[in-house]
Amino acid sequence: MPPEPVPPILHTQSALLGFDRPVIGPLSLEIPAGARWALTGPNGVGKSLLLKAITGQARVHGGRFELAPRTHPSLLAQDHARPQPWPLSGHDWLRAMGASVPEHEGVRALLDRRLDRLSGGQWQLLRLAAVLTSRGEDSSAQRLILLDEPANHLDAEVRADAVELIKAVPAETTLLITSHDDDFLQALGLEKHPLAEYLDAG
Amino acid sequence: MPGDLLLTPFIAGVLVTMVLALAGAGLFLRGSVWQALALGQWAAVGGVLASVLHWPVLPVALLLGGGIMVLLQRSRDRERLPLAVFLAGLAAVTLLAANFAQASLAAAAWAEGQLYFAGPNELWAAIGLGLLTVLMVPVLLRVWLHAQIAPDVPAASRPAVWQHLGEIVWLVAAIVLGSMVLGLPAALATLLLPAWGAAWLARNLTGLVLWTQGIALTGFLVAWTISLPLDQPFAPVLVLVNVMLALGARLAAMLR
Repeated sequence: MPPEPVPPILHTQSALLGFDRPVIGPLSLEIPAGARWALTGPNGVGKSLLLKAITGQARVHGGRFELAPRTHPSLLAQDHARPQPWPLSGHDWLRAMGASVPEHEGVRALLDRRLDRLSGGQWQLLRLAAVLTSRGEDSSAQRLILLDEPANHLDAEVRADAVELIKAVPAETTLLITSHDDDFLQALGLEKHPLAEYLDAG
Repeated sequence: MPGDLLLTPFIAGVLVTMVLALAGAGLFLRGSVWQALALGQWAAVGGVLASVLHWPVLPVALLLGGGIMVLLQRSRDRERLPLAVFLAGLAAVTLLAANFAQASLAAAAWAEGQLYFAGPNELWAAIGLGLLTVLMVPVLLRVWLHAQIAPDVPAASRPAVWQHLGEIVWLVAAIVLGSMVLGLPAALATLLLPAWGAAWLARNLTGLVLWTQGIALTGFLVAWTISLPLDQPFAPVLVLVNVMLALGARLAAMLR
C-alpha cells in the first residue's frame, strides 16, 4: 500500500488577500509540509502580505485559505523599530518570544546586552534566532517559520551566522522566506518560487 | 500632627508608591503615558462628581476611570485621543468646581493630595492592592513583554484574555487609588518619572522594575522628609523631587 500523501501545510484556492480591502489575488498555491521555499518577485507583488495572512495580521477576503490544523507559525517581520531607551536584554527578548536559548555562540554573546545598544545587524540576528526557536506549548504541533527579508540589515559580521542559523532548522519544519538578496538565497540553497506564478492561477 | 498619627499615611503612601512605580514601568514599556494622564484625570472627575452627589468616592472614581480605559483601549491612537480625553476631564473638573462648593473642595483635594489625612480605609485599600500586585507580577511581566514583540510573531501562545483584562483592571485600580492617596499630580509623577529615569540605567526588565522601585521610594522618602518639617504640601514637593531624581538618573547614564 503506498504511503498516504502528506497534506500541505498551506493550501489556497483563488484567495483574495488584503487589509481593509483585497490587495492581491486570486492566489492559488500549495506549500508541502517540510518545504523550504524562497518566495521571490518584485516589490508590491504581495510576498509580505501572504506571510501576514498566514499569521492572521492580514485578512482573507475571498476564496479558500487553509492552514493545516495545529500549525504554529512564527514570523520575522521586515523591520522592527526599537524605541529609545528600551531597557530590555537579549534574554528578555527570547522570553517574550517563547524561544529557547540558542547554542550559537554569536547569539549567546548578545543575550546580556540591551536591545537598544545592539547594532542593526546584531538586532536582526537576535530576532532571527528568537523566531527560529520560538515554540508553542504543544510540542507535537507543526512548525511554520516565515522570514520576511531576513537579510535586511545583516552586515558582513553576522551574515554568515544568519545563514548558519537558518540552515540548522530541523528538517520537519516548513520554511518560507521572502528575499531580494540572491546571494543570501543561494547560500541557503532554497527552492525559488516566483509569487506571480501563483497569482491568477486558480 | 503627632508622629504616631502619621504612621498610617506613611505606610499607605509607601505601598501606593510601590504599586504606582510598577505600573509606571509597564506604561513606559507599552508607550502608554498619555493613557495614564487621561485615566488619572477621569478618576479625579469621578471623585469630584461623587462628592457632589454624596456618593462613595472610590467606586465612582474606579467606574469612571475604568470606562475611560475601555474607551482608550478600543482605539489605536496612543496620543491624540488620550490627550483629548485628558483635556475633557480637566474641563469637567473645572466646571464642576466652578458650580458646586463641595466640588471645589474635592477638586482641590485631588490636586493637592490628602496623604497626611489618609486613614484606615486608604491603608486597607493600599494593602489589598499591594497583595493583589504581588500575585499579579508574573502576569503583568508576561503581558508587558508580549506587548514588545509586534510586528514579529512568535509560535508561543499569546497571553490569555483574562491576563490582558487583569492588567487593565489592576492599572485602573492603581492609578485611581494612587491619585486618591497622593493627589493626581503626585501620582502621575510617581507613575511617569521613576520609570523614565530607570529606563536609562537598567540592563534588563528586572533591572527596570528594581530601579523604578528604588527611584520612586527614594523620591517618596525625600519628599516626606522635606515637606513635613517645612510644613509644605506633600504632592508638589514629591513632583519636584521625582523630576530631579529622573534627570539625575539620565545624567548618570550619560556619564557611565
